[in-house]
Amino acid sequence: MPSTRPSVLRSAVFRRVIWACAGFVTVAMTLLWVVSGTMLFRIDAAQEARILESITYAQEVYYGRGADALIDEEIADNGVLIWDDDLIYAVLEQENQLIVLRNAAYDPVAGFPGLYADVGWHITQLDHPEIEAPVRAYLEALRGGETITIAEFVPERRFVILEFAWAITFALILIVLPLALITGYLLSRWVFRRIDGISDTAAAVALGQMTQRAPQSDDYDEFDRLAGGINQMLDQVAALNANIEAVSVGVAHDLRTPLTNIGGRLELISRDRMDAAAVEDHVTAAEGYLSQLLGIFDALLRLGEVEAGKRKAAFDAVNLSDLAQGMADAYAPVFEEANKSFSAHIDPGARISGDRELLEQLVANLLENAVEHARDAAQVGLTLRRDDEKTMLIISDDGPGIAPANRARIFERFYRADASRATPGNGLGLSLVKAIADLHGAEMTLDADTPGAVFTLVFPSLR
Amino acid sequence: MKRRCLRDVQTAVDYAKSLQTGFCVMNILIVEDDTENGRYLERGLQEAGWQTVWHNNPQAAMLTLSGRVFDVIVLDRMLPGMDGVDALRLMRGANITTPVLMLTARTSIADRVEGLEAGADDYLIKPFAMSELIARLKIIARRPKKEIAKGAITLHDLTLDRMKRTAQRGDLLLDLSPLEFRLLECLMLHPGQVMTRTILLEQVWGYRFDPKTSLVQTHMSRLRAKVDKPFDVDLIRTIRGAGYAIDAP
Repeated sequence: MPSTRPSVLRSAVFRRVIWACAGFVTVAMTLLWVVSGTMLFRIDAAQEARILESITYAQEVYYGRGADALIDEEIADNGVLIWDDDLIYAVLEQENQLIVLRNAAYDPVAGFPGLYADVGWHITQLDHPEIEAPVRAYLEALRGGETITIAEFVPERRFVILEFAWAITFALILIVLPLALITGYLLSRWVFRRIDGISDTAAAVALGQMTQRAPQSDDYDEFDRLAGGINQMLDQVAALNANIEAVSVGVAHDLRTPLTNIGGRLELISRDRMDAAAVEDHVTAAEGYLSQLLGIFDALLRLGEVEAGKRKAAFDAVNLSDLAQGMADAYAPVFEEANKSFSAHIDPGARISGDRELLEQLVANLLENAVEHARDAAQVGLTLRRDDEKTMLIISDDGPGIAPANRARIFERFYRADASRATPGNGLGLSLVKAIADLHGAEMTLDADTPGAVFTLVFPSLR
Repeated sequence: MKRRCLRDVQTAVDYAKSLQTGFCVMNILIVEDDTENGRYLERGLQEAGWQTVWHNNPQAAMLTLSGRVFDVIVLDRMLPGMDGVDALRLMRGANITTPVLMLTARTSIADRVEGLEAGADDYLIKPFAMSELIARLKIIARRPKKEIAKGAITLHDLTLDRMKRTAQRGDLLLDLSPLEFRLLECLMLHPGQVMTRTILLEQVWGYRFDPKTSLVQTHMSRLRAKVDKPFDVDLIRTIRGAGYAIDAP
């Protein structure tokens, strides 16, 4: 188990959550300010247009009919020339524009004297003891140094929008970003915990604790699926390991024994150098062990070739009836010699897709298995039955059978029901049978209910 | 069958020399890069009374082949710079029809098929017994063969009618099973030649695997019980550590 855990800050999940939130905040603020800015611009533009309209009208009156007409019509229409601070309220109740006309000395001639401005646009405050709200003012110079200034209060909406935009901006920065940090931290801690369970398992297995399995919750979320997949893989690895161990034991025994024997015979040859008959004897024995050894190698290589599935490309239509008949003819005398009776019942015309050579090997291995392991005077049978769907190959004997404890294992490599390994054989014959059956898509069963061993292979028929 | 021992060679050679028939000097080209195995081949084949030329690369072998005719070529599958199968294709492409026996360390069926498809006449897996190699070389070697009658083969007082599938020794018609007939036919087509267990398995049964049981011995002893046992003279002989042969006394 690793002693140091990587920091949460380095977590991919954490960093992505932060980046995502930063992106979200940026986009939200941009949108907010673009929309608010547009609204403010439109409000300002509308107000400026209104003021300019009034200015233009005032100019028309001034240049058309003179300053007095302007004063009478536009400014002193309520009878008061100079508005005082109190009058403002009354004016503002009727219209929303304030106006002031000054002479060349900048003294107010008419209108509200508390309105000051320079040429052009200005945001300013009125000189009034109570009104603090800012106004937007425009001053236009008239003939003879006179000026007219018109102002309107900056609309309340403008402030509301601005306030709203700022409030949202602060909220995004002060609330969403910390929230993202917390979410990212918690999320990555949770992911870490789930992953750690799995990586701890992997580390433990790497250190040799093959029985460790990744923890799984009942949620069946993606982590459970990952853990499940890893556990499945570990089970498979454990099974393969067990198989390799069995193979190692088999190799250790079945390869070492003949090698040791050959070594022993070589030593005896050098000792008995003078005795030609003894040397002859040793050489013959050593050759026997050598061919036993080579037999094991051949079987292992053949097994590897079959299991790799390479032969599948060479599949062809095989007449299993002819093949089985040939096998029956070839092995009948062998059974007779071994003091066992043999009978074959073969349906004609059974054709399957397969590899002739491998199928011959399969049948031969099963028959040889019966030659070696069936009891004396046993009844051995080879039966081939076919219908349109499937072709059944049955090789049976009537004793002594296979002990239930051994049934599951007889197809394993190097497995020998006879633990002392005293009987001939290398424990690879049935493994090869199984591998060849698998390659041909044949279902293979070992019948357990009969007194003897009954191997049944079901191949898909070829029409 | 896979025993590799010079003693085997001795048995086979002694036997071959003891025969009047089926023995004459063959020229053999060996293409093998492994020095140990090359020496083994050379010694074994020379002791069999044959002449050998040994090359350790296919280029030199091609050069020699352009100027000299051989009875048979022993070609290793794995050669430096060129696969044995490619070398064989090259030879066949150059119209060299000399029979070729391929040697290989690989046991896969696909490899063997590839070798045979490239034009090899036979295929032998390392390690092999010298007696096996000699027996196989004799079978594939292109030599003037004694004309064998299509219908009948006769050896001493044994006659095989290949049309009627019957065998007769002296006046007695032998009661042979089809398998036994094929076994006898295989022996009689190569009189005086050692037929090893593997060769018989291939040619009579068509099996390419090595049965653990004494399949060949069983059938052979049945055949001999019918062909030889009732008569004074044995025609079929067991060559210890090598195989079987049939020859006239």
